[in-house]
Amino acid sequence: MTSILEFILRLAVWLLLAPALPGIINKVKAWVAGRQGPPMGQLYYDLARLWKKSVVMSTLASPAFIIGPAVAWIAVLVAAMFLPLGPVGGAPGFHGDVLLFIYLLAVARFCTTWAAMETGSAFEGMGSAREVSYAVLSEAALMTAVLSLGVQSGSVTLNEMLATSAGAGAVLLAAGLFTVLLAENSRVPFDDPNTHLELTMIHEAMVLDHSGPPLAVILHGASMKLMLFAVLLAEAVLPLGNMQPLMATFALIGAVLAVTIGVGLVESLLARFAFRRAPLLLTTAFLFCVFALLIAWKGGAA
Amino acid sequence: MTIGALLFTAGVALLVAIVSGSSSPRCWLAATLAGNVAALTAAVNVLAGGEAWIWRGGFLVGGETLHFRLDCISALFLVLLAVVASAGTVYSREYWTDAAHPRSARAGRVWWSVLIASIALVLLSSNGLHFLIAWELFTVASYFLVTLDRQRREVRAAGWLYLATSHAATLCLFAYFAILAARTGTWDLGPMRDETSLAPLFWLALFGFGVKAGLFPLHIWLPSAHANAPSHVSAIMSGVTIKLGIYGLVRFSGWLPVPGAAGWVIASLGVVSAVLGVAFALGQHDLKRLLAYHSVENIGIIFIGFGFALIAARQDNATWGRLALAGGLLHVWNHGLFKSLLFLGAGSVLHTTGTREMSRLGGLWRSMPWTAGLFALGAVAISGLPPLNGFVSEWLVYLGLFDAVNSQGNAALAAVFAAVLLAVTGALALACFIKVCGIVFLGASRTPAAEKAHEAGCSMTGPMLLLAGACVTIGLAPVLVWPAMARTASIWNPAWSEIAAPASLGVLGRSHVVLTVLAIAGAVVLWKLANKHGLRRSGTWDCGYAAPTARMQYTAGSFANIITQWFTWILHPQRHEGRVMDTFPAQAHFEEHTPETVLETIVRPAGGAVMQLAGAARRMQHGRLQAYLLYLLLGLAAVAAVVLIGGGR
Repeated sequence: MTSILEFILRLAVWLLLAPALPGIINKVKAWVAGRQGPPMGQLYYDLARLWKKSVVMSTLASPAFIIGPAVAWIAVLVAAMFLPLGPVGGAPGFHGDVLLFIYLLAVARFCTTWAAMETGSAFEGMGSAREVSYAVLSEAALMTAVLSLGVQSGSVTLNEMLATSAGAGAVLLAAGLFTVLLAENSRVPFDDPNTHLELTMIHEAMVLDHSGPPLAVILHGASMKLMLFAVLLAEAVLPLGNMQPLMATFALIGAVLAVTIGVGLVESLLARFAFRRAPLLLTTAFLFCVFALLIAWKGGAA
Repeated sequence: MTIGALLFTAGVALLVAIVSGSSSPRCWLAATLAGNVAALTAAVNVLAGGEAWIWRGGFLVGGETLHFRLDCISALFLVLLAVVASAGTVYSREYWTDAAHPRSARAGRVWWSVLIASIALVLLSSNGLHFLIAWELFTVASYFLVTLDRQRREVRAAGWLYLATSHAATLCLFAYFAILAARTGTWDLGPMRDETSLAPLFWLALFGFGVKAGLFPLHIWLPSAHANAPSHVSAIMSGVTIKLGIYGLVRFSGWLPVPGAAGWVIASLGVVSAVLGVAFALGQHDLKRLLAYHSVENIGIIFIGFGFALIAARQDNATWGRLALAGGLLHVWNHGLFKSLLFLGAGSVLHTTGTREMSRLGGLWRSMPWTAGLFALGAVAISGLPPLNGFVSEWLVYLGLFDAVNSQGNAALAAVFAAVLLAVTGALALACFIKVCGIVFLGASRTPAAEKAHEAGCSMTGPMLLLAGACVTIGLAPVLVWPAMARTASIWNPAWSEIAAPASLGVLGRSHVVLTVLAIAGAVVLWKLANKHGLRRSGTWDCGYAAPTARMQYTAGSFANIITQWFTWILHPQRHEGRVMDTFPAQAHFEEHTPETVLETIVRPAGGAVMQLAGAARRMQHGRLQAYLLYLLLGLAAVAAVVLIGGGR
């Protein structure tokens, strides 16, 4: 019974709270710029509005143009359900579920880029080419981060890997994962979610042709993915497993909020990088994770 | 029926197929299929029961008694052969018809059956001499299949390169088996794990079998041969024949001792193959050549699993060694299934459009929805994405690597490298297959040929459905295939007892089922909702541009450009572009292709040097008798001088 309640609670958190994160980021950006900014719940209104709209589809597109976003959303949701939520725990994990977690994100990428290629638009081709290319580096960084968590905890199960702290390498790991978060969620300095110059975008360029409910699904999926990386980062760094349940809940919420505000601050204070420099930054993130791994390694041996 | 009777039936059926191939296509079809079904039944029996079938003939062939053995290792590969060969047999009926290819269709059928029979013989032979005979026969049969369309120059070139490289490898295998026979006193093969003095022979086997497997940098023959062969032949070559290289290494590293460095070398070669294979694939614009490079990549993944299994065997560490080996072996099956599916799909595209150049295709999903859908499934599988089979085997390999890392042994650091590079490989493969599917099947048609494409017939889509079904089955129910892998691992290394499927493998399978159900449900709901709210069609929103044309779409080269830039140090892409000089340029052109670096920078110059030396030596041979007499005299004088000067001793 409790497990069912827990399941529903986790599902509700992922489905209902995720769209708040972009709202927080926008508030932070507005606050730094001295504007009032859109209300926190703007994305909720947008989703509700889009959900009721009709769909315009390119004459070139196949049904996969609409199926793609649906499958990508499901993949992100299933991946999120494998993540423990502090004291609420996660799905009953299994030995090696962390690999499924990483590859589910790859499934989402496959489906989004596929849907983008459907339209035959050069802009969306550009967007998907960038998405899949930068993902090569961020996947390497993510795999290294996961390996370092594995070495630290001696386990290959997400629940156990995230329960302990990242040890002495926590700062490096946090820096690496934060950069991966920025890249995977198409935030500044990799991409600018506010820009309207199609030539310079990644994620937005891929969804130019989507409208109505499919666009709502894409936006909601993107917010879930942002929250997923924020939660992953928070749990990788904090030893939530060793805290009191109430304490852990607050710590998790605080950490996710801190990450979100951090994204907002980065976005306010930093300009978008030239595309040529983006791979260098991701390589730096990868190196952060490698050093975190080496520290975990030495700690384990000692 | 017993296993012996089944294999006998298969042999007879294949003989009938070989004989009837040129006269009666129907009889050939029935006989080839019957042979494959019989062989499949026998192999599945062995894999399920675990009892090896061993048979010694009472008569001599080439001075040696026949010795056949079907144990789990050979059965594993025989299953793959039977499945892929059946699919290819049916496919070729429509793909390579007598009407379209009056010169080669008959020969194609005969050599096809010879190829199947000789591969089966390689898998069954337990005698070095017969192994070599069957090996040579299968090399020659695949040469004739590759060059079926030998009016075309590039086909002949590809066939010649294949033949030459294969024979360089066969030479090594000759040396391998001959030295083995000389040391042991018999050509008969079997377990001889205690004779440690035989270990260095492994390096000969690695070269010989590595060339066949297409391991980087021995893969030079592979891209052109797979690209230029008829597609059903590409399917069996990529799906099965390159796996015989794996078979040879697994078989003989199980029977003979191996040097201590073997596992490390194999694993490093595997990592290099995986990453560079997919990098080269990204640089290709020819659909089939691209798929061929992905074979190099997947062979690399298999070698990573196999190499870490060798390391584990050395360190007596069964837990992660078994996982890595099972992953590698399962990837043999998986790659065989999805790669032949993809090659058959590429064949259907080639059949209807007449081009393999991706930038001349586009928008094919409208005219060939079945082919597009099945190709997409193959693309998901080869990119190693859940819930299909490619992910299951990669997951097992990863799990082996992660457990190796966590065991903190001396393999741990290498396992970290391998795991990270495997992740990179996976992401690159995904990029490459988005490129393929996006350019070939999605968007607008780039040429009239692509516009006029039509769906392939049932005998071409049917075999693809069969292969796709196998991919889905392994993906959703991986526990079904685990016993076969565990049993094979225990035959390979008797110290690793056969264990039940790890519980997590079952959970993984169930997660895949849940994911599939949810994905289908989500897709249906969204599709229905979109239709309910009204679904309008309109031109692509090209950011306000009013008259987009098909030529403005992203091309294969532009899509892969970011990644190929990272790899220019090895890819050496060649660009030909007209510089735009005027204010209103009348025309401009741009062309780029990625040659085979190892072939162009190492093998071809080396071959040129040998030819030059040979040419210089040939000047001495001109047919003038007086000069020859002078050579004799000089030779005698030289010998006399040596005797006189050095003869004091």
